[in-house]
Amino acid sequence: MKLAVNGVEHELSSPPLTPLLYVLREELGITSPKAGCQQGGCGSCTVLVGGEPRRSCLLPAAALDGAEITTLEGLGSPEALSPIQTAFHERYAAQCGFCTSGMVLAAHAYLEGGGGSERESIQDALAGHICRCTGYVKIIDAVSAAAGGDITSNQRWLPQPGEEAPVEVPGAPA
Amino acid sequence: MKAVGARLPRYDGVAHVTGRTTFVDDVRVPGTLWVKALRSPAHNADIKRLDVSKAEAMEGVRAIITWQDVPLLEYGHLSALGIPADEPLLAKDGVRYKGQPIAVVAADDEVVAQAAVDAIELELVEKPALFDVRKAFDSDAPVVHEWGNWYPHFEEEMDRRQIRKGSIQEAFDKADVIVQGVYRPAAIEHAPVETQVCQVVPEADGRLTIYSCTQALYFSMGVVAAHLQVPLNRLKFVGGTVGGGFGGKVDTATETMCSLLSLKSGKPVKWRWSREEEFLCSSTRAPWHMEIADAVTKDGWILGRKMLTLHDSGAYSRFSPYGLTKHSFHHTGAYTIPHLEFDGYCVYTNRVPTTAMRGFGVTSVSFAAETHMSRIAKELGIDPFEIRLKNANRIGDTSPNGVVYTDPSTVPTILAVADELGHELPADYRTMSSEPRSAEWLPEHLVAQLGNPEDH
Repeated sequence: MKLAVNGVEHELSSPPLTPLLYVLREELGITSPKAGCQQGGCGSCTVLVGGEPRRSCLLPAAALDGAEITTLEGLGSPEALSPIQTAFHERYAAQCGFCTSGMVLAAHAYLEGGGGSERESIQDALAGHICRCTGYVKIIDAVSAAAGGDITSNQRWLPQPGEEAPVEVPGAPA
Repeated sequence: MKAVGARLPRYDGVAHVTGRTTFVDDVRVPGTLWVKALRSPAHNADIKRLDVSKAEAMEGVRAIITWQDVPLLEYGHLSALGIPADEPLLAKDGVRYKGQPIAVVAADDEVVAQAAVDAIELELVEKPALFDVRKAFDSDAPVVHEWGNWYPHFEEEMDRRQIRKGSIQEAFDKADVIVQGVYRPAAIEHAPVETQVCQVVPEADGRLTIYSCTQALYFSMGVVAAHLQVPLNRLKFVGGTVGGGFGGKVDTATETMCSLLSLKSGKPVKWRWSREEEFLCSSTRAPWHMEIADAVTKDGWILGRKMLTLHDSGAYSRFSPYGLTKHSFHHTGAYTIPHLEFDGYCVYTNRVPTTAMRGFGVTSVSFAAETHMSRIAKELGIDPFEIRLKNANRIGDTSPNGVVYTDPSTVPTILAVADELGHELPADYRTMSSEPRSAEWLPEHLVAQLGNPEDH
């Protein structure tokens, strides 16, 4: 079996019925999809299969031979966040961070599919994702902002080499 | 002070939104063994026979621990405060709740570990179980614990958390009305999306590195060191990244057993609970049974409160005595009542042990106290905002446990709620503040209980 993950081809050795989640996490070491419930209920294992959000815990590897998978690692890097990642970061839409991978990917697919900034349609798009921190308001704010282009497109969130952080907070990590 | 008032990016935000945050389950250690537990299928039973020999002989099984492998079997989170422990790390003679761990297996993968668990021979003799705290005091109730059906080790070996303030008899003698209510909020599962998880790595120098999802790292470190009977410098805890806790990750659920398995097998081990385990076996917020009787005047002053609380601790006390203590200190809500008689019991039942959850011990009593305020207002035909403002904590008032309030916020909070809702209030309520009581806001029954905030 072959799988393209974030643009890289992999030849798989996992047994054919292994759920994609474990192929990604245990065989390939890609850990952004989370094992939240392992029964399709929480959405934290979501990845994009051919651009569509799918639950990797329910997908056997054999059904995906030749598919193109995108995980959160493939969306944007810390140095160059994608628009939806920027929106999540600057609107404080990630709290504990455990549901974030699935939320961001589902939101990304929603926007790619032409989804708008209306809160109700965003709610529909994210309905299968549980944030137990109950941070839904900020998550929907972030997706809505990204849909409306209301993000800081040139904001650099990490200080560049030799540059001080914009605000020094005693005790905060550099 | 550059940070005050500034909008700061979250220091872990970039890692979260790019999938780079390393949660415990994301730590990669080659050669890691996976863990599964044999858990009690019964609510209350004696263990007649436990034999792990067949499971130990299975291919791929690297270590199995039972109570015999634990250097100090019973240790509690509150032991450091002198509060006796009542819970064995692994069940010894009997089990007291469904899901209680009896034996734990480390094997090459989760499938082998589960097969080994299934091969462990266990014989139980089931006993009647207790689920209703109200029946715990009956003479024919099933006995849950060797200490009886309620926790007996509060200060001076009292069997309850007790508060006495003023003269409850006087309050009830002077009352126009007695308003009673019973409040019973149910248990709640924290249900973090990250289930309980732990990775332990045995290091070459004999130390253990413990990747933990705990919310209480130093508590957990002390608990593991005590059970293992090793000095703290043998343990390196790596924590701080929690995939949701809400109080449920204050208990040390997995770290101690994984440490013992790691020492016994000499290998790194990892235990990630299934969602089913998380729901069935992890601690919950406690169910509470609260009975309130208030002595009230017809113009809405609360003179006295009698309260009985039964805190369902589940099979073991864990943090419950502490939660009940907080509960007792807050049992008048955000209001000042001068005459009090409070009795609270940590009751054992054959349910999963309960623990902290968001406002430990206080959310239950806040629910009861606020609902009761509205009930009093309704019975007297008084505006629910006015009765709250009248009895609100003011500077110089004293709490149930005798703390003098120096900066209470009840009055501005209620006024803000009234504003938001467009609720009309008479001028003397509208202009109320938290300043010390005077004039008509200082009735005779409150004079005696006032403290002087400047003394504190």
